[in-house]
Amino acid sequence: MGELALRDIVKSFGHIEVVKRVSLDVSEGEFVVFVGPSGCGKSTLLRMIAGLEHTTSGDIKIDGARVNDLPPVKRGIAMVFQSYALYPHMSVYENIAFPLRVEKANEDAIRNKVEHAARILHLDQRLQQKPGMLSGGQRQRVAIGRAIVREPKIFLFDEPLSNLDAALRADMRIELTRLHKQLGATMIYVTHDQVEAMTMADRIVVLNAGHIAQVGTPMELYHEPQNVFVAQFIGNPKMNLLPVTCVGTGPEGVTVEMEGQRAVVPVEPGAAKPGQKLRLGIRPEHVRVGEGDLALTITPVVVERLGQQTIGYAPLADGASTFCLLLPGETPVVADRPLQIGMRAGDCHLFDAEDQAFRRRVDLSAFAA
Amino acid sequence: MSTTESATDGPPPDVTAAAEEAPMPAARQATKPSRADTTALIDRYAWHELLAIYAGVFVFLFFLLAPFIEGFLVSLKPLSQLFSSPYRFIPENASFAAYVTMWESVPGFARFIFNSIFISSVATIIVLLVVVPAAYAFARFDFKGAGLVLGGFLAVNMFSGAVLIIPLFRLMRSLGILNTYAAMIVPGVAFLIPSAIWLLRTYMIRIPKELHEAAYMDGAGYLYTLRRVILPIAMPGIIVVAITTFIGAYAQQFIFALTFNSKTEFMPLPVGLFAFFGKQEVVWNELMAASFVGIAPALIVIFFLQRYLVGGLTAGAVKQ
Repeated sequence: MGELALRDIVKSFGHIEVVKRVSLDVSEGEFVVFVGPSGCGKSTLLRMIAGLEHTTSGDIKIDGARVNDLPPVKRGIAMVFQSYALYPHMSVYENIAFPLRVEKANEDAIRNKVEHAARILHLDQRLQQKPGMLSGGQRQRVAIGRAIVREPKIFLFDEPLSNLDAALRADMRIELTRLHKQLGATMIYVTHDQVEAMTMADRIVVLNAGHIAQVGTPMELYHEPQNVFVAQFIGNPKMNLLPVTCVGTGPEGVTVEMEGQRAVVPVEPGAAKPGQKLRLGIRPEHVRVGEGDLALTITPVVVERLGQQTIGYAPLADGASTFCLLLPGETPVVADRPLQIGMRAGDCHLFDAEDQAFRRRVDLSAFAA
Repeated sequence: MSTTESATDGPPPDVTAAAEEAPMPAARQATKPSRADTTALIDRYAWHELLAIYAGVFVFLFFLLAPFIEGFLVSLKPLSQLFSSPYRFIPENASFAAYVTMWESVPGFARFIFNSIFISSVATIIVLLVVVPAAYAFARFDFKGAGLVLGGFLAVNMFSGAVLIIPLFRLMRSLGILNTYAAMIVPGVAFLIPSAIWLLRTYMIRIPKELHEAAYMDGAGYLYTLRRVILPIAMPGIIVVAITTFIGAYAQQFIFALTFNSKTEFMPLPVGLFAFFGKQEVVWNELMAASFVGIAPALIVIFFLQRYLVGGLTAGAVKQ
């Protein structure tokens, strides 16, 4: 109960295709996060699953049955909105009881379910208050309570934490993860915040301009991004890209040349041929001061010291792009002074001219739950 | 205005004696507020600004209220004094006698007041019954021709009822409702609906779309959502519409009553006042007294509901 399948979903508004042939399988009890920049179609996709938008073409199936033409309740779906969408004139109790009142449940059943939901969400003391008297986090919990009481197969969350301040957001993240474990229901969560995606998701769906860029566990996306978009979208600050030339391939990987230095990047060679222009990706946190398989001299123009970390930004030779490095907090980096940095070939990613990644040889078994 | 006045308020007791013993002239106090002045800077005005503000308020209020003042003074005067020369605004031996005698000289007067309120109330109720669902539909649903219909309402609004009196008269005669309450209520309702829809639609548009979507996600139908979610939230707006409709119905009934009704027992107040126009002379003081008494019930209702007028204009702006 709670399996979702999307088959070639397309959504257009007029002539503009917002969602382009998206197919996805979500298994029961999974916590799936849709993430992507603004306008990538993630909210539209969620609203189609909810039944608030109609699909232009394609099938939405829940537990094997096509639900495209069913209203949300019949689909067994509940949704939590970004703006909470609480009914301001009703008490917390009545807000949570609303879906049950619509169903015309009897008074005892309503009270039991509302009180049960309130206990789970720590709202027992607030039941008689109006939403206007609650803090942002409490309002969001009421909105979640309203979703819980219906006992839906699938929960949908549309950027539920983006109206909260940073500290509260961190608390609510933990609370939502706990809730997911407790309820064991399928949850689909939309956010543009990659921290929320990385911390809560079983699997992340990265959307870019209406199609799926990659689906995978958080660690897969971090260590094995399949293309430049995912590589740069996941991870903060984003991955640096350096132009390199392929000079040879072999069983141990692809040999690349950068400013006269050569290194073997351990990736599946695929269709790489000597002489091809490639791009080397290195995450700021994998850059270190001193020597490495590949070395580079850069001059950071801005240095941000966060205490725990120090972030430096240096212009690259091509003038257009910036090289970012994330170093331990006590590293003595000074702005406008040249710095020798090194990178391990094993930390590097390699992308072809079509922005597709060469498959890296990394062992993710340590992260498997 | 209370915030602007506090700039010239005396210092509170905890201020040092030096400030108390030399009370500054109001002018200097306003430009150089003492430390005790807690009025926000944005609410502080120099003395000449205050003077200009109050002068402006006075001019406009006087313009609006002068006819009422004069009407009230006339109602206090004995009839003979009204035609004295030179004319005196302040009545000598003023009395409320006219307020008593008017009931005797026009026996049906209480009935006229009742008719007025009855016609306006029924019109308001019908308008609300029709307009609330209509405004909800125009605010929330996209349907073909919505813009056209709304534009049509606006266009109808620009015709005054007076232009359409003759066609309306023929219509009523064919329907056989001349000389009934319906003759005064039906056209009134028709002319009040467009502006009421526009007013309430504007209010309902400001109710967040998510509330509607959340109710839909929870399985509520349109009518259930309207009743349990939209109506309570839109209540301030509905009260504003009710008040403006009531006032509108009260004001416009004269022309309909004059043309579509000739039965004395159905006459509303504005037409009923003609009874004070005698064959030889107009009983001005009783006429004025009757006008004030006639307006009083509506005035009292509006006085108690006026906080909703202000509340209705701002309530939707509050974040949910």
